[in-house]
Amino acid sequence: MAQVSCTHCHLTFDESVMIKEEIDGKLCYFCCHGCQGVYHLLHSEGLDTFYAKLGNTKLTPPQPILEESLEKFDLEGFQKRYVKVRDDGLKEISLIIEGIHCSACVWLNEKVLRKSDGVIEADINYTTNKAKVVWDDDTIKLSKIIQTIRAIGYNAFAYDAQIQEELATKKRKEYYMRILVAVFGSMNIMWIAVAKYAGYFTVIEQQFKDILNVAEFILATPVLFYSGWVFFRGAYYGYKNRMVNMDILVATGATLTYIYSIYAMITRSGEVYFESVAMIITFVLVGKYLEVLGKKQAVDTLDQLKNTIPTEVLVVNPDGTKSLQAVENIKAGDILEVNAGEKIVIDGIITKGEANFDESSLTGESLPLFKTIDSEVLSGSICTDSTINYKATKDVSSSLLSSIVALLEDSITKKPRIEQLANSVSGYFSVIILAIAIATFVGWWFFDGSWEKALIISISVVVIACPCALGLATPMATLVGIGTAAKRGIIFKEASFLETMAKGTKIALDKTGTITQGKPTVVSANLKKSFNPSVLYPLVSSSTHPISIGIKNYLEEHFPNIEPRDFTQLKNIQGKGFSAIVDGSEVLGGNLKLLEEFGIDFEMESDNLIFICVVDGEIVASFELKDKLKDGAREAIEELKKQGLSVVMLTGDHQRSAKSIAQEAGIEEFYANLLPQDKAKYIDDFKAQGDVVIMAGDGINDSIALTKSNIAIAMGGGADVTIGVSDVVLLDESPKKLKESHLISKRTYRSIKENISFSIIYNIIAVPLAIMGFVNPLIAALSMSLSSLVVVSNSMRIKNIKFKDTK
Amino acid sequence: MSSSIMILMLSVSTLLGAIGLIALLWGVKTGQFDDTSKFIDGARYDNEEDLRDAVMMEEKQKAAVKKKKEYRPAD
Repeated sequence: MAQVSCTHCHLTFDESVMIKEEIDGKLCYFCCHGCQGVYHLLHSEGLDTFYAKLGNTKLTPPQPILEESLEKFDLEGFQKRYVKVRDDGLKEISLIIEGIHCSACVWLNEKVLRKSDGVIEADINYTTNKAKVVWDDDTIKLSKIIQTIRAIGYNAFAYDAQIQEELATKKRKEYYMRILVAVFGSMNIMWIAVAKYAGYFTVIEQQFKDILNVAEFILATPVLFYSGWVFFRGAYYGYKNRMVNMDILVATGATLTYIYSIYAMITRSGEVYFESVAMIITFVLVGKYLEVLGKKQAVDTLDQLKNTIPTEVLVVNPDGTKSLQAVENIKAGDILEVNAGEKIVIDGIITKGEANFDESSLTGESLPLFKTIDSEVLSGSICTDSTINYKATKDVSSSLLSSIVALLEDSITKKPRIEQLANSVSGYFSVIILAIAIATFVGWWFFDGSWEKALIISISVVVIACPCALGLATPMATLVGIGTAAKRGIIFKEASFLETMAKGTKIALDKTGTITQGKPTVVSANLKKSFNPSVLYPLVSSSTHPISIGIKNYLEEHFPNIEPRDFTQLKNIQGKGFSAIVDGSEVLGGNLKLLEEFGIDFEMESDNLIFICVVDGEIVASFELKDKLKDGAREAIEELKKQGLSVVMLTGDHQRSAKSIAQEAGIEEFYANLLPQDKAKYIDDFKAQGDVVIMAGDGINDSIALTKSNIAIAMGGGADVTIGVSDVVLLDESPKKLKESHLISKRTYRSIKENISFSIIYNIIAVPLAIMGFVNPLIAALSMSLSSLVVVSNSMRIKNIKFKDTK
Repeated sequence: MSSSIMILMLSVSTLLGAIGLIALLWGVKTGQFDDTSKFIDGARYDNEEDLRDAVMMEEKQKAAVKKKKEYRPAD
């Protein structure tokens, strides 16, 4: 049979399965009723041109969506979270449109939305699939808008366009514009300057020089005041916080050079330095822009975490009926029902049923916990396998999950980043240069009597001291450092983090996922002769429980010739194990509690997890499982200690297993049984003791502690939020990278110090000359570019860093 | 070479460059480069119909804002 393509979605299928229909004398084929429906809709609305625009792009056939799920879009809780009411009374929402394949899809969605009454604005970003819709709530409801999008075969989700995200985009844009102006200005000034340099050697008439000077002045002015505005702003904040930062030096240096040049231009005395004004602003600004670009949006990922929190829960009313209610309306004492796979939003106590709970987002531990009547359930955990009823003990805002999110938001916005710049070497340098300049001014004025000459000379001190070398000293080294780190799978989100990390004195590590693999593996097995792996294998393969997976891996490794048997009556026994019938015999697999339940006597003492296999009442195999250290974890921790860091471990796991892992990894100091807030508290305590704390973790449970630490390192495989809030991301999760990232930061910091000391030496030679009033334009121009070159090439040396384990 | 020619050359070339720069800045500021993919495809949908749509949207916007203002008397 011939293959034909669907008229709507263009996917090809066999002709026999297609729905045939003649529309306006044209034979059309549809692969499903969904496609047919959409085609009819577009046809009747006169939007056939969509198909012409679509070309040969294939679409996803529309999925049938339950009508009832639309209601939630008009619920108050939903509207409160996602919908923004504008000043003019119109409502605005940010949506992610699913199913967009090409620009024709964008066109269609925009077109259909704009045609609907009451929709005032619909703008879809093709690159990100994000849409902004503004509508008039009196004319059209949000649910109707969503329904319109669904009717044409797409789907829409709301997302919280946090103000921070908008701010970040705005900031990037602002920097970009400033750089455009700066590059335009400095490039033009440069060619004018070339003419002047040439003129300096071949003699130039004063009138031409004046024209060139004025042209440079005109070009340098917007560069200094528009592009350089960020430095003035930074200098102002630095002044307010009583700190001398690089911004102050750049701002004063550039401004004084500018003023001096204007003076030189008007009085026709000496040389003008407009080109250095433009160049320094441009260079340092580009460095800053790269930092802004690299900054990942923590808040972006926080949105995703929030989106996974259900907005409504199933409430069991006193009369036995069930109803769906917004989480905001739940009070303590209400009875809630949770089904398998659902996330708990509100803390409470189980009143009916029993189930396993995955608390990995709270404690970081991958093993589900078994809970029954009267046990406490925590929000953020996921009910994995059955239906329970529980009584809410708190309302949503005071539940654990919400408080974690709130805490995170709080610490992200309050993280004192500016503090990191304080006390940096360049800060001291700025003070010294400014002091010398003032001293020069006073000295010349006192001895020479002419304040004019004193001013020119003192400005020239700043001019010759300030430019490129010092401006480039830190950004150049950190850029090379970031690049070197990125090549090794270590992402530093901001340049300044390298410097802070190098100053770290204490490193706090999470256990599961950071030091250990987070997957239990068999460490010892005691197998009887009668043990047949072919019986156990299919049973453990059918489960996703971490212990089953560990056993499965062990069997696969040690018994290459497994022929899985068929099994019947597989029963999971909550929190204990499973039972099944294989080849007519009863097979049990599980922990000691399971044996107890089946009345089998067996004694075993171990720090590890135990899994026992019983066939017809006889114990045929016992396994001990343990969460193993990651490869190289011990060596990496040893190296970190050698590099002068004190290492601590913070874990949500219980004392005993924490102790054994700590011993194995060679960590003396560890704290167990910690909830997310406790970890954060420890970090605060360490900081209060004067430590600069580096924290490495991978789970949501570490995220608060991560935001509290001076430098947060996230494992690449970790939760999005963790990656979002951290400063450094290790892409391949190996503990070795922890050590390497610290090594790179130390090496970079050394280069920064070298660069700055070079600049200082350069200044020790150049500044006295300036103080004595010998500043010759030739020397100034040459030494400026030469010093920059030295700084750049010294920074390049970071690339040659040696790691012990690489050849 | 007289100085007036030099002034003329410098000012004309800088002015031309500045016009280009201002146009670029305007484009960045009004978000015309925010969505690169849509920006490239834009030419394909630049016809009379789309123009009419744009005008319609503008009118709709004005009408809605006006309606809201009337609805809520000034306090």
